[in-house]
Amino acid sequence: MHPASIVLPASGLVLAPLLFGLINRTKAWFAGRRGQPLLQAYYDLYKLLHKGAVYSRTTTWIFRAGPIVGLSAGLVALALLPIAGMPSLAAFGGDVVLFAYLWALARFFTVLAALDTGSAFEGMGASREVQFSALAEPALFLALATLARISGQLSLSGIFTAVTPATWAAEGSSLALVAVALFVIVLAENARIPVDDPNTHLELTMIHEVMVLDHGGPDFALILYGSSLKLWVLGGLLVNVAVPVRTGNPWLDGLAFLSGMAVLAVAIGVVESTMARQKLLRVPHLLLAAGAMSALALVFLVR
Amino acid sequence: MDGAPLLIALLAVPFVAAVASLLVPSPRGVLALLFATGLAVAGLAGLAAWTVADHGPIFAAGSWLFLDALSAYNLLVLVVVYLSSTAYAFRYFADEHEAESWTRRVARQFGGLWAGALGAMVAVLLSNNLGILWVGIEATTVLTAFLICLHVTSVSLEAMWKYLLICSVGVGLAFMGTLLVAKSAVPLALDPAKTLLWTTLRDHADQLDPATARAGFLFLLVGYGTKAGLAPMHSWLPDAHSQAPAPVSALFSGFMLNAALYCLMRYLPIVEGACGHSGWAQGLMVTFGLVSILVAAAFILFQQDVKRLLAYSSVEHLGIVTLGLGLGGLGTFAALFHTANHSLAKTLAFFSAGRLGQSHGTHEISVLRGTLRSHPVWGAGLLGGLLALIGVAPFAPFMSELLVARAAVQTGSTWTLVLFLAGLGAVFVGALRYALGMAWGRAEREPLPERHNALDVVLVVVPLVTLLILGLWMPAPLEAALNQAALVIGGTR
Amino acid sequence: MSTSAELLAVAIVLTNLALLGSSRMGGLVRAMVVQGLAIGAFPVVAWAAGVSAWAVPFGLFAGAIKGLVFPWVLMRTLRRTGVSREVEPFVSCGMSLVIGLVAFGVAVWMGSRFSLDGMAYPTRLIVPVALFTAFVGLFLIVSRRKALTQAMGYLVFENGIYLFGVALVGELPFLVEFGILLDAYVALFVMGIATYQINREFHHIDTDRLSRLKG
Repeated sequence: MHPASIVLPASGLVLAPLLFGLINRTKAWFAGRRGQPLLQAYYDLYKLLHKGAVYSRTTTWIFRAGPIVGLSAGLVALALLPIAGMPSLAAFGGDVVLFAYLWALARFFTVLAALDTGSAFEGMGASREVQFSALAEPALFLALATLARISGQLSLSGIFTAVTPATWAAEGSSLALVAVALFVIVLAENARIPVDDPNTHLELTMIHEVMVLDHGGPDFALILYGSSLKLWVLGGLLVNVAVPVRTGNPWLDGLAFLSGMAVLAVAIGVVESTMARQKLLRVPHLLLAAGAMSALALVFLVR
Repeated sequence: MDGAPLLIALLAVPFVAAVASLLVPSPRGVLALLFATGLAVAGLAGLAAWTVADHGPIFAAGSWLFLDALSAYNLLVLVVVYLSSTAYAFRYFADEHEAESWTRRVARQFGGLWAGALGAMVAVLLSNNLGILWVGIEATTVLTAFLICLHVTSVSLEAMWKYLLICSVGVGLAFMGTLLVAKSAVPLALDPAKTLLWTTLRDHADQLDPATARAGFLFLLVGYGTKAGLAPMHSWLPDAHSQAPAPVSALFSGFMLNAALYCLMRYLPIVEGACGHSGWAQGLMVTFGLVSILVAAAFILFQQDVKRLLAYSSVEHLGIVTLGLGLGGLGTFAALFHTANHSLAKTLAFFSAGRLGQSHGTHEISVLRGTLRSHPVWGAGLLGGLLALIGVAPFAPFMSELLVARAAVQTGSTWTLVLFLAGLGAVFVGALRYALGMAWGRAEREPLPERHNALDVVLVVVPLVTLLILGLWMPAPLEAALNQAALVIGGTR
Repeated sequence: MSTSAELLAVAIVLTNLALLGSSRMGGLVRAMVVQGLAIGAFPVVAWAAGVSAWAVPFGLFAGAIKGLVFPWVLMRTLRRTGVSREVEPFVSCGMSLVIGLVAFGVAVWMGSRFSLDGMAYPTRLIVPVALFTAFVGLFLIVSRRKALTQAMGYLVFENGIYLFGVALVGELPFLVEFGILLDAYVALFVMGIATYQINREFHHIDTDRLSRLKG
């Protein structure tokens, strides 16, 4: 096993919170401000880990389990994600399905933890989150199915070993549609504009943050880190599709991957700065459109 | 004598008149110009028809224009309908002229659209190029739309919008059918300039790809059938006919529906040839014809407006023509004969309904009663027209319907005959009830007295007498012309 | 299979989905602009693949009319009638999208039943895309309430038919193509005037309420 196949996923562990910094700096630049330091997320994690936690008496062990499951799911998904055309650390046939359902598991426990508090706000956020994820899941599955069909493999590592620049030349339109659909899914699953505004402080407008409103201290640190891992992994999926650099040298490919992630973070920042958040009633249309694009990609493939 | 300049002139005259009528200063002058155009076109058409009868088909404009027995026959019917409708327009709009609603602007709009519609219909009849055929039909749709709402009211706008949308979509489907038929000729590797020519496709009909030709015919039947008013695509017909001014309704029913059916007549031999004369296309036409007759019969039983009644009668008669075409052989002959009879009777009926409507202020059947007493000339016209339309002997429509029935017997399709007669019977009973009430019933309100002049009498008497004569005796030239025309589609007496 | 032709086909399908899912008139008109230009670009791409050079000016002309002139007339009518800019559908935008996807699947199936010899155009996708566009046009006519959206649906339907023609026959004689485009233009013009008159008479362009004539 090439040392790069251990180092690159490990770099994800370290570099994931940097994505938040890049996004926030891009948004600040658009707004004409200087903005937070790039490493602000790391300072926040440090601060939170050194705080104490307060638990309400209405909550049970589920409330404490939520953030832990979220983090574990992120870690396992990171182990499944292939980088730079090399197989991932825990690859096996059919790990595409496990990959999709890891996020479902994390979401399930987050929702349970939110409902466990008995607060109305969390319940409202939970119902919204579940609805949007239900619509985003077909899109994700169809995109993965298209990729599986192109490469003829059912393992994430197998798929991305097979997706090369030559694949783009042959099936460019399908891959382009899959990339756009995946971008919308990344925005939706990570609670970004145009689906959800991460900077809002009005609970009635929140979807994701309101579910974790009652978590504090180390729990919140785990949630923050887990969500950065989620952004890293899902974004990594997109970068693997969009930028399949295969120079033959794994380190160079890895470097290309990391640059791709940085560009993705900037792109998300640009989208957040230039678009407004969609009305809640319109979000299903957006997700349906993403699903439609994945379906189209699949149909184009099998014609 | 080379007939090519005749064809070019036939095409050019109406369009020139359309532009000229936008410049005529007086409203009545517009009508005079339209009538003169009609006479000119009639003369040219007569000459052209005579040339075709003597020397065979005429070609012009690099074979894009073409006149054979079928188109000559239809051209003559068009000319008769157009002339009588324009003459009638004089009488119809005379009242409005006095009421100041027939202004110069309205007259010019009417003139331009009326002559333009004539030009488009002539283009449909003369074109050998199936694409230009389609363009002509679409042009008739677009040009006649504003004739319906000549006087802008909320109901006339509603009728116009329905007409425009439904017929445009239908004609669009017909275009897809045209493309599919053209594609079925692709294996022949013809010169692309010739692929869309009807004469070329007819000559090579048995070499066309049957599956594509069948798909194309389906689209064509639905598409052109919409424009012809076949059920179930007929929903625009009653609204458009009832809201348009009477001369426009007469032109619609008298010829525009025929023009759409003419297109189907052109495609029938091609598709039948491609399918190896299996009768598939003809079977479809029989089905649509029967459905139209039965649907029209059902609606005629419950009518309140005389123009809507006449509109449903048009659906029925176009159904009969389609049925005849579908039966083939004697049926084709009968169908062509029926188009002329229907045009004559329908224009007469619409003329009468229009004038009576003007005198009574409404077109409701319950109000238009005792017309034979109060308005002898137009009342007789309405009664005669309705009787002819429902197939009372010895009017000509009875004869042509009898021939269609005979054709059904000859082909041995019993169910067709039964359904056909049932539909005719229902229409007979339903419409007769209204006709008798309108002729002899007791009127509740006294309408305006009738002021008729010689033109009115001519417009009523001539069609009635012609229908009576044709019902009793078929002149040899007419029979020869019908036979020749039927041969083009593939049928014979 | 030429990539640029494929990309154009994908673009047209995406504009159709945008037409189905858009809830504002401005969005519909923008989608029509892109669709018209993409359709006009098809013959140009095909010329690169070997169809005769006459197709190029035709494609550009068709693209200009469908992509620029028609939307301009529509926007002008929209402004003159001053109606609200909401689309007011009978079938919701989300459901329209789903129906559109199903229709695309059906169109692909139907396209596969067409024999491919004699196809002048460089991608097999064009027949399903044309059928899909025609379906989207018909669906817009049936499922949207305003008269102006019905006119737009008719134009999209004509786009689909034009594309179908271009794919199947390759090159129609120019006069016929010209006549077809002219007819579409005049039809749209007439519809625009008609909408204006309807609005003036009724003070709305809601065709659902145009239902006085019955029986």
